[in-house]
Amino acid sequence: MSASSFQALDYLEQLPVQTHRKLYEQPSTVLAIFRCMLPHLAKSIVMALLYMPSSFPAADLDAWFRAESSQTKRNALSILEKLHIIVSKQDDERKPHYELYMSFASSLRQALEGSGSHRSFGVPSHKSEERRVSVEFLDKYSQRQWENILFYLVGGTVGFRNPGGQDIGQGTKNLLHLAGFYNHSRITQDGFTFVLRDTNAQVWSLLVAYLRNAPQQRMSETDILNFLFMLGSLELGQDYSTATLSATQLQMLEDLAEFGIIYRPHKSASTFYPTRLAVTLTSDAGAFSQATTTASSLGGGATSKGFIIVETNYRIYAYTNSLLQIAILSLFTHMRTRFPNLVSGKITRKSIGKAISYGITSAQVIEYLETHAHPQMQKKKPFLPPTVMDQIRLWEYERERMETSQGFLMKGFGKVEDYKEYVQYAKDTGVLVWQNDKLRMFFIDSIEQVGAKIKRDMQRAAARA
Amino acid sequence: MNAIDASEHHERVDESVPPSLLAIVLDTNPHAWAHLSSTLPLATALANILVFINAHLASGNANSVAVIASHSNKSCFLYPTPAPSSPRPQPNATNGDVDMNGTTETTSYSVQDNPNKYRPFANVETAILNNFAKLMEGTKESHLEATPTTLIGGALSLALSFIAKATLLHSPSTSNSDEAMLAIADPEAIHTSYVSLASRILIVSVSGDLANQYIPVMNSIFAAQRKRIPIDILKLAGDTVLLQQASDATGGVYMKPERPEGLLQYLMMAFLPDPTARKSLVMPSAGGVDFRAACFCHRKVVDIGYVCSVCLSIFCSHDLPDNLCLTCGSYLSLRAAQSNPPALIPRKKKKKKRAGADSATPGGSTPAGSNTPMHA
Amino acid sequence: MSGSDYSGSEYSGSDDEYVGPRGGGSNAAAARRMVEAQQQQAKKAERKAQAWERRRDDSSEEEEYVPTFEEVEDTDVPEKSIQQMEEERKRKRLRKDTKPFQRGIIRHVVLVLDLSEAMLEKDMRPTRFHAMIQYAQEYVREFFEQNPISQMSVLGMHDGLCLRVSELSGNPADHITAIQGLRTPKNPQDFSKEPKGSPSLQNALELARATLYHTPSHGTREVIIVFGSLLSLDPGDIHQTIKDCVRDRVRVSVIGMSARLKICTEIVSRTNAGDESEYVVATDQELLRELLLATTTPPVVRTSKSAQAVASPESAAALMMMGFPSRVVEDTPTMCACHGILTTGGYTCSRCSTKVCSLPITCPSCQLTLLLSTHLARSYHHLFPLRNWAEVHWQRAREKGTKACLACLTPFPEPPPPDDTHREKDTNGHGVNGGMNRFVEQAQMDWDESGEQKASESSRYECRACESHFCIDCDMFCHIVLHNCPGCLSKADPPDRRTGEEMEITP
Repeated sequence: MSASSFQALDYLEQLPVQTHRKLYEQPSTVLAIFRCMLPHLAKSIVMALLYMPSSFPAADLDAWFRAESSQTKRNALSILEKLHIIVSKQDDERKPHYELYMSFASSLRQALEGSGSHRSFGVPSHKSEERRVSVEFLDKYSQRQWENILFYLVGGTVGFRNPGGQDIGQGTKNLLHLAGFYNHSRITQDGFTFVLRDTNAQVWSLLVAYLRNAPQQRMSETDILNFLFMLGSLELGQDYSTATLSATQLQMLEDLAEFGIIYRPHKSASTFYPTRLAVTLTSDAGAFSQATTTASSLGGGATSKGFIIVETNYRIYAYTNSLLQIAILSLFTHMRTRFPNLVSGKITRKSIGKAISYGITSAQVIEYLETHAHPQMQKKKPFLPPTVMDQIRLWEYERERMETSQGFLMKGFGKVEDYKEYVQYAKDTGVLVWQNDKLRMFFIDSIEQVGAKIKRDMQRAAARA
Repeated sequence: MNAIDASEHHERVDESVPPSLLAIVLDTNPHAWAHLSSTLPLATALANILVFINAHLASGNANSVAVIASHSNKSCFLYPTPAPSSPRPQPNATNGDVDMNGTTETTSYSVQDNPNKYRPFANVETAILNNFAKLMEGTKESHLEATPTTLIGGALSLALSFIAKATLLHSPSTSNSDEAMLAIADPEAIHTSYVSLASRILIVSVSGDLANQYIPVMNSIFAAQRKRIPIDILKLAGDTVLLQQASDATGGVYMKPERPEGLLQYLMMAFLPDPTARKSLVMPSAGGVDFRAACFCHRKVVDIGYVCSVCLSIFCSHDLPDNLCLTCGSYLSLRAAQSNPPALIPRKKKKKKRAGADSATPGGSTPAGSNTPMHA
Repeated sequence: MSGSDYSGSEYSGSDDEYVGPRGGGSNAAAARRMVEAQQQQAKKAERKAQAWERRRDDSSEEEEYVPTFEEVEDTDVPEKSIQQMEEERKRKRLRKDTKPFQRGIIRHVVLVLDLSEAMLEKDMRPTRFHAMIQYAQEYVREFFEQNPISQMSVLGMHDGLCLRVSELSGNPADHITAIQGLRTPKNPQDFSKEPKGSPSLQNALELARATLYHTPSHGTREVIIVFGSLLSLDPGDIHQTIKDCVRDRVRVSVIGMSARLKICTEIVSRTNAGDESEYVVATDQELLRELLLATTTPPVVRTSKSAQAVASPESAAALMMMGFPSRVVEDTPTMCACHGILTTGGYTCSRCSTKVCSLPITCPSCQLTLLLSTHLARSYHHLFPLRNWAEVHWQRAREKGTKACLACLTPFPEPPPPDDTHREKDTNGHGVNGGMNRFVEQAQMDWDESGEQKASESSRYECRACESHFCIDCDMFCHIVLHNCPGCLSKADPPDRRTGEEMEITP
């Protein structure tokens, strides 16, 4: 399971039962959820249950798992229950049994067998070959659209604009704003997280934002999800008919076309093409990593595999001519030279400091470098030189010398004994954060217990007096 | 700090499940399926296996599959479609889906347009069904009369070669011939940080006696053992120790269902979990495997046998005609077979003492210079 | 590399013969073998020269050309040749003679490690000593993988003496722990085995000879010396020791690390019936590993005159009594006879019912060899090796019309249009089977097979038996790991490779 599907899983989990029920009526959705959202062991459980004639006694399930992996089993079962895929029932002898939800099971069976007449895997449009759009064109199109969005985010910070790209639509801008990626005309920390991820994860985080925004737009979440999961099961280069789509889905077409997820020849066209961004929605493979055909166009050599080489002397060589990648790199590197297919630079304390001041964390920088490491780098383990990784982290810690925590400062103790007693008490209750014996002060993060003790002692002292 | 980094990184790798390549060897021996036709006809079995393949493909995004038919007169690929029928684009093993795209040219258009089927599933299914039909058409009566058995050794060899190549393409170091070589020779010696391809072989077997292919099958088993490829056996009919040994030696699943008609449930429950999932599941195994040898002369199971030192043939008695090995014809002395240590032969005993004395000298703690051996 | 090449094992004295057909002299197969042997003798002069050439280009080629990533990526025009060079590099490993020689399957090997101060040299990383210890462990593992019914002992040449590191036994774990113990002694009282002093080849050979003395005559007696020094400090006349080794049928191979030594050449050539190819020098770490691992292949059996004088020829082959025990499963742990550890389950000796914990093993109480049938099966590929596949020329590729590798379905490059008539004529006579004069060409093919394995211009490699085409990777996999030809085994009525070879052993 990739990081990207975790976000979608989080979103799915918090949906109510009714939505799940509706979702599971579509075999394509069920298949996509099964393929992408479930942990590995959960898949095994679902498959074991799928064709089982009776329900599965919990005792047998326990016996099926090795004793040492009961933790992973519980984890898998809890996700399955949260997603309303399996249900635990009790039989006549009050022994627990597991069963799949009917709708999920029948849809998954239909998906695997290819039976039924649900038409949920997309209705291809019958069009003569020559009028079709080529895969290269689709790749170029989707890449251009997507890079425009990324450029919109980072462009302002880096200080240069995408020369060839046009501006993105107002709807997308609003969405980026709603998602918290862009605020007060500059990119936020979440935005950097977004930009530094791999393409597939980016697409999902944007779509999750889109989903959260759906109720305001009076769009049905179920329809959106069904459509997205259907997109994931389509074939690149094939055009599909819009005839079977619901009103919500038709409305979505426009937005998705703007993201570059689908392509429509014109706004009122009765067909649409899924792009590579769409067909890889429900797979782990990085969206552009397969787009070898476009490697020479926008992304340069950058898109193919990894392209960054990091040396132990903090120098970075990136085999790319993609402006976007250079822009992202320049967020945390001090760029030196640029050649037709190569840029070189150096990671310095200053450059990392600058990145951190934008709100980029060292973990993000390292993850970015790791995901885009050159195949030569990937032969080693870990991919990056440990010294560089450590230093990037240390530079981050350097800026975090001060730590703030809220609490209460206790001072003005008359007697040393009193002071010591209260300090000891605070220590024992585990609320003490800081103490200074000389000034007879200490700092605690919660006042309740210490305050109560003081009150008690004062009452006692008053009573004695 | 360094230690922390390493562990963090490790965890990250462990989280992701390696893509899994499943090679299914389908025993299509018509003789054996004819016996099974009352309970489980071949067509039903094939349909069940197709659902199983879809389930496997669905279980991981980069999962891929290869299907090999082990027929009575030949063994051949059912999926991916071998080239002679249609030239294919270069398969790219970094992504299993490409394998599926490869066969789109051979699939018939009617299936392509089916909106009720996930496209990759449809592609695989059509290719398998087409190739299977071709295989059956090509089977003539003369082939059936020739042999009652199936070419499991060839099918296994094809599967192993296919897996080896896929593993090689999957690892990023293909550009470096040295490492690629190492990967061929011994997979454990290579330190690649990539999540490697986890492959396994499933043999759906219906044929009984496979003794005529003992050496090829054994060689395949050892190759699988060396490459850590588990061989799962689903034995629908017949019984053979050889396949039991295969699953036992490679750590695979062995199952001989009592009711073959419940094939799909067996497949889903016992054979679907890939090596990653198997780590946390209790998998059925062959149990007590008979590793005792059968003699080459009478096929008797022996406890104590006599082995030819030249060709390693096993015999149940030492009374061979003219003391010649039945397999290789070497003259075999029985003297050595009596397992008397040569030290008991008087003439040699003397010699042995001398040699023993010699050996004692350099091994001891006395200085080397004073230990001149006593040879004239 | 050349260490694995047993093709050079015939030497000029023609008293070498194969043991196999001694019994029934009058049948056809035996006659064919004789012819074959004669052919080989006729070729010996060429072979010698070739072996020498090979060694030279081994060492030079290794350093000269290492294709880097960038080169493969960036250059377009010479890509083809680079690919060919890589394939050639790969196929070098295949240059084993794949004729079904009788091989010594039951081996008794003494591995002698140099623990003298020369091993502290840092030309290998971190030192020669550490590199050797590491490879020796790998070697032990691989050795028992390939030769499960063989025995091994490890000795060390340390400060003038020869130490016994591990006793002659068939348990790889014992040897590996012992070898590890050289670096980190388990017993604190043990004196340090860090490299020290000078080595003594004589002491090592004497101890090895004594170790191998008891071994039955149907097995081989081999000594493999890893020698880093340039000197040997011997207490007496080493030539006498060599003579004794020759008399006791001990074969010595030496893997040097520095330079060729006259005395090593002599030891090797005297004990290997004049063949010097068992003396090799590792120029770098990787080569050392390869040379060591090459000796895991069982050697070709031969009997020389001097050995016949001592042991009767019959004793070379024997019928061995072996036990095939069954597994026992116990609930309560019991003591095993081999290690004296409490174990649940194990195997009981078929003759005396002693419990042992692992196989293969010699029964500690009745000396019966106990093993599983699978252990025997592991050695079959040495006896019935997979023949090397032939390079395929474009013309042949067109003829067969193969588009993809039979085994892995990787597509082959398309053959160029057949306009190059000049070349075609040239290739026609050489590598392509016309079908007419098969038997004449058979000899030619045999010769090709044991010769240098080159890269094929069409990236195809053809199995001579089933005429299927394979790619380079499958070629490597099938010959190194699988030992099966997927093509031959996938046809019910192919010209059967297996029976063909068995016949050659069969009189």
